[in-house]
Amino acid sequence: MTPMLAPLVGEAAAVTFIGLCKNAGKTTAMCRLMEELSGETLALTSVGRDGERTDVVTGTEKPELWVPSGTLFATARGMLPLCDVTLRVEGVTGVMTPLGEVGVFRALSDGFVQLAGPSAVGQLGPLSRTFRALGARRVLIDGAAGRRSLAGAEAGAAAILCAGASMDGGIPAIAAETAHVCKLFAAPEPEPPALRAALAGETGRYALFRPGGERLPLALEPGGQPVWQSLPREDCVLWVGGGVTSALLRTLARRGAPSAVAAPDATHFLCDRTSAETFFRCGGRLLAARRLRIAAVAANPWSAYGRHLDGPALAAALRAAVDVPVVDVGQGDTPRT
Amino acid sequence: MKGNARLWEDTGYNWVMARLEPASPFGHALARAPRWYGPGEEGALAAELSRVEALRDLLETAGPALDGIAHILSEFRDIRNSLQRPAGAPMDEVELFEVKHFLLHLERLARAYGRVPALEGLEIRPMTGCLDLLDPSGRRLPAFSVENAFAPALEPVRAEKARVEGLLRQTEGKDRDALMARRSELVRREDRLELEARKRLTEALLRERETFLASMEAVGRLDLLLAKARLARRWSCCRPELTGEARVEAVDMVHPEVAAHLRERGGSFTPVSLTLERGTTVITGANMGGKSVTVKSLTLNLLLVQTGFFAFAGAFSTPLFDRVSLISADRQSVERGLSSFGAEVAALGEVLREGRGKFFCVALDEFARGTNPREGAALARALAEYLGRLNCVALMTTHYDGVSDAARRHYRVAGLGALDTAAIRKGEAPLDRLSRLMDYRLVEAGPGEPCPRDALRVCRLLELEPELMELFSKNI
Repeated sequence: MTPMLAPLVGEAAAVTFIGLCKNAGKTTAMCRLMEELSGETLALTSVGRDGERTDVVTGTEKPELWVPSGTLFATARGMLPLCDVTLRVEGVTGVMTPLGEVGVFRALSDGFVQLAGPSAVGQLGPLSRTFRALGARRVLIDGAAGRRSLAGAEAGAAAILCAGASMDGGIPAIAAETAHVCKLFAAPEPEPPALRAALAGETGRYALFRPGGERLPLALEPGGQPVWQSLPREDCVLWVGGGVTSALLRTLARRGAPSAVAAPDATHFLCDRTSAETFFRCGGRLLAARRLRIAAVAANPWSAYGRHLDGPALAAALRAAVDVPVVDVGQGDTPRT
Repeated sequence: MKGNARLWEDTGYNWVMARLEPASPFGHALARAPRWYGPGEEGALAAELSRVEALRDLLETAGPALDGIAHILSEFRDIRNSLQRPAGAPMDEVELFEVKHFLLHLERLARAYGRVPALEGLEIRPMTGCLDLLDPSGRRLPAFSVENAFAPALEPVRAEKARVEGLLRQTEGKDRDALMARRSELVRREDRLELEARKRLTEALLRERETFLASMEAVGRLDLLLAKARLARRWSCCRPELTGEARVEAVDMVHPEVAAHLRERGGSFTPVSLTLERGTTVITGANMGGKSVTVKSLTLNLLLVQTGFFAFAGAFSTPLFDRVSLISADRQSVERGLSSFGAEVAALGEVLREGRGKFFCVALDEFARGTNPREGAALARALAEYLGRLNCVALMTTHYDGVSDAARRHYRVAGLGALDTAAIRKGEAPLDRLSRLMDYRLVEAGPGEPCPRDALRVCRLLELEPELMELFSKNI
């Protein structure tokens, strides 16, 4: 097998797979990287339930996750009957899910696993530390589809953006959406050291700073939202600890004054293309306290709904739309179902 | 526990419990439902207090060893649910992992506990047999898997499965299908054997269910004792003396919640001392003189002692009561749709009914203050007299004259005494001024000694409207 993703990921200690839509081919890309990295002790987790043969949300067939013996993985207790590896329980995390508490396991044989790891922001860090203490060299995170979750990123993490034919609108729409997400992920870290330090230590839901890093007062409504009218008219940086939504960017765009929105990392940018463009046009900027690098776009011409696309054409369109490397993960392989 | 939920809240018992820091789920469970030591259980309570005392002393001399124990305690997880299961339902791998985790930590705890002087009546024993069952190799590693040792038939199945998986790694395309089918068959056999092994393990573990429960109880007790000892040390609490006579003696007693509140505001708590005997003891004195706090402090300390805690006092001696109650009209009435007077009377009725034939202690804060003064005074006096005929120790605060005549003992708050107007500092907040000038100590007073008339001075110190004060003075 020719390594395609491994060289692009490099030495990143954590790799997050982000799907452009549901069934975008995250699992296919993850399987591919695992095969390329065979020999390394890998640890797997997912944000939300994933890895199952049939997608619980859309009811479509999905590729399963086949792991080699020695792989560490996190999943909810209720998923154990669906894992067919011989396994060893290494620990429990205290994270409760509707499918039971998330445990940490080691595969003692090759086989299929079903992932259902912790979903909340802040639970991934401790889990990664547990994985590393158990000998994992790298953590692979199956992120939520459609970027509808704050997958979170650790320092030094890389992301693989999965763009698949399962998205509506054909090749042009996929290419445009991929370009949009890549642009969001290109959001720089703040340059002024004081602002960088202030954002690194920020834990609140909202906060306001001058571009230089000086904290400004921010009035909040009883519901916790900022009082938009009270934002100063001069250039300022609004910290958003949760999701940066389309509505939020449109509100700021209407304000007219140039402003920057800063989030912990790019997985928090949940805004759609139109809103982001409006925001940029009005002078807005996006900042990420911690840069999450998109190492590659994984193009997947195979559609869960049967509308398969032409692989080379999709890859070519994506290459024309983005600066990051594009790989065709379906190339030469038929996805296992 | 004897008493209702409101009692634990109103006396500040819940406040104290919230500051107790058990480390294990078993300690938490015991702290939520503390054991009540009633009359006849003096020996058991003395033994409990001796254990707290021994641990408190050990905190001075063997702190690191106890820190080690506390750390192990904090590692326990609650496995009670795993032990309560329908017959024939095997534990899954995670449950077996947790049981092993419990047994490993029990073994570590027993070892650490063995290194400190043993507490009488508290043993921590490892369950070596069960642990060996889950850890056949004896390596005492935290991880758990259904090992081949649990079912000899697993070994050949797993070896064959590994061989097939090895072939799969080298096979591409259609040839994989036959291998995958073979693997599926082996996975099913492995699953069946694992299930049988888990069933056997579960049955063997459940046969020791009682020992598990007793061990958890012992772990919880050690945890709670350690928490009690820490609390006693932090607050310089005293070991209470248990007496056989109907006499409660409190020396330099404090209420920790009020004391903490005062400390936050830069003030300090004046400890109070008083002695109660069978019958009624009455406290009279100035408003804002700390009478209610004394009532709360006494009730709290009695509740603490009777649940095996040290007392927040310099010295404290008491017999054991069947029941301890507090009746105060502070806030209960509105919630129940009763007037404050109605609520008090209902509560008193319940205390008297429940106390029939029992030995009880009741504290009443300004009983009958909510009704007209003439009838109120008569009722309070009658109650002081009536309680004197019962097998109880009662404490009443009152502003009514004539109540102390009917009481066994009478204290009054030293209060504002001979107040020198020169002591009034300009610019001082009225409440701070009042607490600076107030002498909160209790002094013994003669029966029938009239209640101090301090309302006027209290109002003056609190800077009430001058015009109103003038009218007030005239009316007096």
